[in-house]
Amino acid sequence: MDTHFGADSSPPPSRWRKVAYGGMQPGYDDNHTDETFLEDMVMNANVVKRNMLKVMQDSVSISQYLCIVALVVLVWIYTLRSTLNENSLLLLDVSLLGSGFIILVLTEEMLSLKRLLNYVLNVSFFTTGLFVLAPIYQTLTRSISSDSIWAVTISLLLLHLFLHDYSGSTIRPSGALKNPNLTSCISLNASIVASVFIASRLPSRVHVFATMLFSLQIFLFAPLVTYCIKKYSFRLHLLFSLGLMAVTLTFVYSLHCLLFVLLVGMLIFVNVVCPYWLIRIQEYKFEINGPWDEAKLCFDITD
Amino acid sequence: MVSDFFYPNFGGVENHIYYLSQCLLKLGHKVVVLTHAYGNRSGVRYMTGGLKVYYVPWRPFLMQNTFPTIYGTFPIIRTILLREKISLVHGHQAFSTLCHETLMHSRTMGYKVVFTDHSLYGFADVGSIHMNKVLQFTLADVTRAICVSHTSKENTVLRSGLPPEKVFVIPNAVDTAMFKPAQVRLGRDEIVIVVISRLVYRKGADLLVEVIPEVCRLYPNVRFVVGGDGPKRVRLEEMREKHSLQDRVEMLGAVPHASVRSVLVSGHIFLNSSLTEAFCIAILEAASCGLLTVSTRVGGVPEVLPDDMIVLAEPDPSDMVHAIRKAISILPNIDPQVMHDRMKRLYNWNDVAERTEIVYNRALKCSDQSLLERLSRYLSCGAWAGKLFCMVMIIDFLIWRLLELLQPAKDIEEVPDVALPCHQHGERIEHVFH
Repeated sequence: MDTHFGADSSPPPSRWRKVAYGGMQPGYDDNHTDETFLEDMVMNANVVKRNMLKVMQDSVSISQYLCIVALVVLVWIYTLRSTLNENSLLLLDVSLLGSGFIILVLTEEMLSLKRLLNYVLNVSFFTTGLFVLAPIYQTLTRSISSDSIWAVTISLLLLHLFLHDYSGSTIRPSGALKNPNLTSCISLNASIVASVFIASRLPSRVHVFATMLFSLQIFLFAPLVTYCIKKYSFRLHLLFSLGLMAVTLTFVYSLHCLLFVLLVGMLIFVNVVCPYWLIRIQEYKFEINGPWDEAKLCFDITD
Repeated sequence: MVSDFFYPNFGGVENHIYYLSQCLLKLGHKVVVLTHAYGNRSGVRYMTGGLKVYYVPWRPFLMQNTFPTIYGTFPIIRTILLREKISLVHGHQAFSTLCHETLMHSRTMGYKVVFTDHSLYGFADVGSIHMNKVLQFTLADVTRAICVSHTSKENTVLRSGLPPEKVFVIPNAVDTAMFKPAQVRLGRDEIVIVVISRLVYRKGADLLVEVIPEVCRLYPNVRFVVGGDGPKRVRLEEMREKHSLQDRVEMLGAVPHASVRSVLVSGHIFLNSSLTEAFCIAILEAASCGLLTVSTRVGGVPEVLPDDMIVLAEPDPSDMVHAIRKAISILPNIDPQVMHDRMKRLYNWNDVAERTEIVYNRALKCSDQSLLERLSRYLSCGAWAGKLFCMVMIIDFLIWRLLELLQPAKDIEEVPDVALPCHQHGERIEHVFH
């Protein structure tokens, strides 16, 4: 039996500890909220502060690709109207192929004969295959009305633009790390199907071959070429895009006034309105991190 | 107790509900469990101690959850609540659609409601965002909430916007009578590391693939026993082949719950590599069997055991190897029986039940609220979501009134209380519907 003189008070309650064992902590309820509550929470740790100019420069990739697609559609319209005949189209194809090749070679860091040979071999396989299959494409949609073809093509092109991978390239140069994801494969397929539909409306086999070659080489290789240019020099990329935009706008103006206005509106929306909007809504971003997060593995899982 | 997850499934939530119900029955309360039918197991069943379980005949449609019909469950739940003379409803697990629906209907009918959250969720991916919104809806009007660890409390408060004073932290416990250390102490010349978990990404199976070969290389006298099955088992088998560790890594496949103890007592160290855990019961079971635990420092794991019974490591292979080295070095100081006796004092289901009873008493003391007061809480959930939730609750209220008209409460016959011999002396304080 203890005899306490004077001190009648209970011993001071021990400090609350953030532990689960040992039952209820004496002197504290189970719903006790300590000052250390949520002290490990980190807010907006990974949020990048965006600069308006940088965002506008980055949006140039999107408008550049929009202009490329607009040019392709222009060539299709001219071919369908027989303004452009098959020989000039073939010339266009060869020159585009050649210039793309030269750009790839010039901007490639690791230039090797084996790589060059690899490219040449792939391109020749591809061209031969197209030439052989051209008669099939010609009769593919004979039973479908033209209106359905235009409607399907336009919707496929819109799908292609929505799902396109604007930051990289689906066809990657050998040795690139990122694998293409599902949406970029879907967009590529949509564009290829659209080109097949348009090519099937053309009168002769050479027309079909030339148009298919043109469309496919743009849709498959243009992202790769623009990606190489961007990697090589950002200023060159900006100049190239501005030149491309100017060329596209001139051609579309000479074609149809309404389309011109539409294209100008799209370009302004993509380049000016969207960056401003993005920066405005960045303020609402609220990212929460803390000890409850699932741990991220620091190594890649290679199967 | 309401949840989609109950016996015959085995898991953290299922065991929690079962043990908690048994201890509450011992304290003299009446406990009824509501869950969905499992295969042929449908209707009313009685389990140990007179625990009545309603297996309502709905089929699970996705990951053991019933199909969410929002109002379709109202009639049967109302019937069960009135028949069993329930006074309080306790829902488990945020991922259970049955739990959310039952809590919503119980609130409409005016019952007091308690919710226990057993898992941690993120904030960033699409699934989590939707889950958190649903949770916000359910918890906007819950009377009290329980979380299984302090980290889980922080996570739940952030996800649902509940005031922290409404959330109680009551951890899980372990049945120490079932998890006893081996009769004969194991020899120390060969060290056996045991891993028992589902072999999925979330439980860190990829970390195991990196850690096991390294440890086997550094310590020739270490052997691994891996129990459990899952999609990542193939990777572990490949790792075993690649490093020729067939005699040093034993893969047991899926271990039934009854054999977990025998697997655990064959080892010295228990390795847990999960990437996220609100509260890891596996660690408790291992500690109760006298094993030293090595675990990743994620979620609520640092709160579970005192520092001398667990070695923590970052979820990084080199850090885990380092932790295993430290564990091997302190292994001679570990006495399994001493550890088991300590665990008996640290974790106890009866203690959990008593603390839960305190939460129930607090909940029952809360004042009743009219529909209008409750609607104002739902409105604060968000600009669009708040109005949607209010609409949902108003329709729920109207359906309740309709059900009252069609099947009045006085027509529903109440279940007589069956007095089982072992509960003769228990005063019926209240009838609790879990």
